[in-house]
This record gives sequence, structure tokens and C-alpha cells, in this order.
Amino acid sequence: MLTRFSRSPSVRITGKRVLQAIPVLIGVTLITFCLLNLLPGGTCLSILGVGATRPAVHACDIRLGLDHPFFVRYWDWAYGALHGNFGSSLVSDQPVGQILRLRFPVTLEIVVYAFILSVFFSVPVAVLAARKPHGILDRISIATSMFGLSIPGFVFGLLLILVFAVHLRWFPAVGFQPISAGLGPNIRSLTLPAATIGFALFCAYTRLLRADMVDQIAGEDYIVTARAKGVKYWQILIRHALRNSMFGLITLIGLNLSMLIGGTVIVESIFGLPGMGQQLLQAIGYRDVTVVQAIVSIIAVGVVAAALVTDLLYAVLDPRIRYGRPSS
Amino acid sequence: MAALAPDVVTRAAGFDLGGGGVAHPAAFDLGPSRFRRTLKSLELWLPIGMLTFIVLICFLWPVIHTVPSPINGNLLDANLPWFTHSSLYGSHYLGTDTLGNDVMSQVLYGGRTSMEVGLGVAVIGFGIGGTLGVLAGYMGGALEAVVMRILDMFLAFPALVIAITIVTYLGQGELNVIWAIAFFAIPAYARLARATTLRIKDQTFIVASRLSGASDKRILFRHIAPNVAPQLLTFSFLGIGVYIIVEATLSFLGYGLPSNVASWGKMIANGQVFLGTEPRLVLVPSACLFILIISLNLTSDALRARWGAQ
Repeated sequence: MLTRFSRSPSVRITGKRVLQAIPVLIGVTLITFCLLNLLPGGTCLSILGVGATRPAVHACDIRLGLDHPFFVRYWDWAYGALHGNFGSSLVSDQPVGQILRLRFPVTLEIVVYAFILSVFFSVPVAVLAARKPHGILDRISIATSMFGLSIPGFVFGLLLILVFAVHLRWFPAVGFQPISAGLGPNIRSLTLPAATIGFALFCAYTRLLRADMVDQIAGEDYIVTARAKGVKYWQILIRHALRNSMFGLITLIGLNLSMLIGGTVIVESIFGLPGMGQQLLQAIGYRDVTVVQAIVSIIAVGVVAAALVTDLLYAVLDPRIRYGRPSS
Repeated sequence: MAALAPDVVTRAAGFDLGGGGVAHPAAFDLGPSRFRRTLKSLELWLPIGMLTFIVLICFLWPVIHTVPSPINGNLLDANLPWFTHSSLYGSHYLGTDTLGNDVMSQVLYGGRTSMEVGLGVAVIGFGIGGTLGVLAGYMGGALEAVVMRILDMFLAFPALVIAITIVTYLGQGELNVIWAIAFFAIPAYARLARATTLRIKDQTFIVASRLSGASDKRILFRHIAPNVAPQLLTFSFLGIGVYIIVEATLSFLGYGLPSNVASWGKMIANGQVFLGTEPRLVLVPSACLFILIISLNLTSDALRARWGAQ
């Protein structure tokens, strides 16, 4: 039974990918650790201030365990992190886990909202655009995605505030309403931030889907076959072209996750949302190494996990990989 | 048989199927008309022209025409509207900001900074990343595995966050910003260079030159480098746009350039507070940023279409 299970290609692929992710995770956390510990500008100096005496700095180093060798410190940190203990903030002495529990849901909500908005709009728009390449809808979609890819996120966010908060007064410009204040106000306070991130994603997704579908329609044999059989054009677009283009979309989604997180930092700062991004900026400002380390590691782990899920999704979607045949 | 799909054959024979070869009946056509060809060439030359214009005006205009200083403005001249003349500092074509600094000169000097940072990062990425990628792709084996795994790890980080961290620790400064962003440009260039190298390294002309006794060095410099460089160059236009956005974002968040350097991101950050009353202070630098980046993106697209078609 077990041998049969382990011979199944999908299980083997999953196992291999998970094993491959482990060294990457170690590397990623190690690089963060290096970056935060090796860069000049000591932690204790920034806690105690510029005028701190040498013995005071030394005492602080010992108190925080900063006098241990680098790898010992990394091991201690990694051991704690694996047990869910990220240490406590150097500035406020609050446990990092507690800080993250407060901040994480806000960021997650923005990301999910932005993601839903972008996918919800980009798939139909791309299909409509690809229906008639070089048609009017197609040209509008190309121009829109070029616009979206060329405008920095913070500029677009400010434009949204200018139009929808200052002039039209549809949404609040800044501030966050927790979900306990009701779903309506909560969604309303997150719409502009999510739209800011979502628009950039929408443009990237639309551009990719549209280009891929147009390519397929122009040159692929299965499309020609389907057309020759008299399958309706809409059906070809959705069941043949779109389905194949989903691979590209999934890759892009996986790759874009770190961009998305960069986006939340900006958006949280513009719209004054109490998420992980704001916490991170604050912590970097105070050189609160434990908090920065925890947040950056969580982000990096998230990105690696996303890459893993992307790979596994391929296996689910593509029968050639699922059944272990070489893909072309 | 994919290469012999009907519309490819028809196109090769000089038939333009129009509309990307989808639902139209094959109409006889002697290739694109002269007008269409001009339009097609404009796709490349218009953005390049715009880029040239931006570069020239940012770098040459302050040299041939006296512009007010972008910093240390006179508070008495604050919030002047467009096209006003102040007795001390000359003409304020775009008015002044809330601190009395001339907006026009901030735009010009900010543009210089943006382009310097973008170009600096691209040069570092091209040099280091391109070399690493080509070597990894060409040599293969353990070198490739190690180099690419390490670079992959860098790609797992959110670029902006690490750039902020690096700049905070190293201190604000143009060179530090360039290195902080380059940290993420290098893996991107390396990946592209490696992929391109892998694609061409088993092609006939490389095999032929190896059979005729060419050394690795000769193959790398005479055959691989000239084929990889255009790809990297096309990517650079796109990349410079991204790096300029990152720089502007860093400056916007207050982690970028020091206060005595003009930057579009910083102008936007300063104007943000007055968005309701003086939207001009945000809109002018935003528009500049947008125009510069869209020119870069369009150039990259046009170059890719041109060089990809070969």
C-alpha cells in the first residue's frame, strides 16, 4: 500500500517540491538575519541613543543576547520561531506573536480583497479583448494595462483619494474600520486601498491573459481543429484558450506575491491602515530587529509557499505532469 | 505541424489575414500600406523621442537657462500659482510649493535623480547579473545550481521592504539607494541572461564554432554575449521604469534620498498633505513620473516586438 502510494507521481512531485523548499527557507531566513545583523548601526546604539556609553551598550548587548556568535543567535532564533516564539519587541517589550496577531488580519484582508477584485475583472476583460484582436475592446484593454503598469502604486492611490474621497466623497480617505464595526464600514474603508493594489494586478493579469489567448488563437492546432469542427467561438475561447492560459496566470500570481506585499506596505502607509506593512515601517525606523526579522521571514516564507503551491497547482491542472509524462 | 498552421503559411506568402488572423476571410493584400508602416515605426520612435526629450530637458535646460534653486526656497514666495515672476529668483513656470521651492526646477532636478538611479541600477544589474547569468547558463553543473538557488532566494524577498531596510541602515544617499535597489535587479538580470544563454548555447552556430576549435572565451564573447545583450537591453528599459518607481516609492515613504536632493517621490510626499487644496503639487510630479515610465515601457515593448520577430 505504502509503496503504491509513494510511486504515485503526484505524491512524488509533492514530496520533492516540499523537500526542495526547505533549503530555500533556511537560506531566506539566514539572509534576513545577515542583513539585519551585519549592516552598520547597532541595535543597542539605536535603543539607547547616540550618547550611550560603551559599557551601557555592552550591557545591553548581553541583555539581548547580541554578544553570542552569529550562528548561535541564528539557531536560537530559528528554534524559537519553529516553536512559534518570535521573541519580543525590543522597543515595547510586547511579544512579537501578539503584535502580529493584531496586524496580520488587516493585511490579509486587503490582499484578499485586492486579489478578488483583480481576478474578477481581469478574466472577463481578457476574454472580451481576445475575442476580437485589434478590435476596439482589445485596444482599450491594451491601453488600460499599459496605463496601469506605468503608474506607481502610490500615485494611483493618491489619485483615487483625490477623486473618490476628496471630490466625490464616496469612500473615506484614510482610516480603518475593523470588521467588528460592521461589514459595510469595514469594506468601505478597505475599498480604495484594495482598488489601488488590485488595479496594478488587474493590468498585469489582463495583459498576460490577453496576449496568451491571442497567441493561441492565432497559431495553435487544437484551436484550428475546434473551429473546423464548428465549435462556437465563445466556447473555444473559454474552454480551450482560457483554460490553457490559466497556467500563465497562476505563474504570474505566484511570482507577483512579493510585489503584492510591497504594495501593501505603500497602501497601508497612504491610507493609514494598521497592518503588517505599517508595523514593519515603524519597526525599521526604530531598528526593532526582532519585529523586522519576524515580519520579513513570514513574508519570505509566504512567497516560498506560494511558489510551492503554484508548482503543485500545475500538477493538478496539467495531466502531463500529473501522470509523470514529460511535458513538451 | 504547429509551424505550418494555415495562417502562418498564408502570412509568409504575403497574405495579411488582418485582425490577428482570426475570423476574417483571407483578403488579398500587398503587405501593410506605407501609412501603416509609418505608424508601426512610430511605435518605436515616438517613445524613444519622448525619452530623448525628457533626458535633454532635465540635463540641458538648467545648463542653458537659469532656473531657480530646487531647494532652500524663500518662504515668502510659497504657493505661487503657475507662470509667476518673483523678484529674487526669476520665473516660476510651474509655480512654487508650500516651502517656496520652485516646482519646475524640482521637476527637472528630480528627473535627473530618477534617471541617474534607474540607469545606475540597470548598469549594475546588467554588469553583475548578466555576467553571472551567462556564466551559470554556459558552464552549467554545480556553479549554475549554486548561483541560481542563491539568486532565487533574493527573489523571494519583497524588494521594497529590503530596500527600505538597507537604506535605513546604510543611511540615505543616492549611491546607497542605487545599491539597495540593485540588490534585486541582479537576480532578475541573471535569470534572463541564463535563460537566453540556455536557449542559444546548443544552437548550430555555437556547436560549429566549438567544432572549429574556438575557445570558451571566444564563444562567450563573440557568440553568446552579442545574442544575450539585446535581450538584456530590452529588459533594461522595462527595468529602469521599475527601478524609478521603487526609488520614487522609497523617497515617497521617506526612506530614499536625503533632503537636499530633489526627487519626484519626495515632491509627491510633500504635496500629499495639500491634496485637497493644492492638487497641482501632487499632479505635476505624478504626471512626469508617469510620462517617463510609460515611455520606457513603450520603448521596451516596441524593441521586444522588433527584436523578437527576428
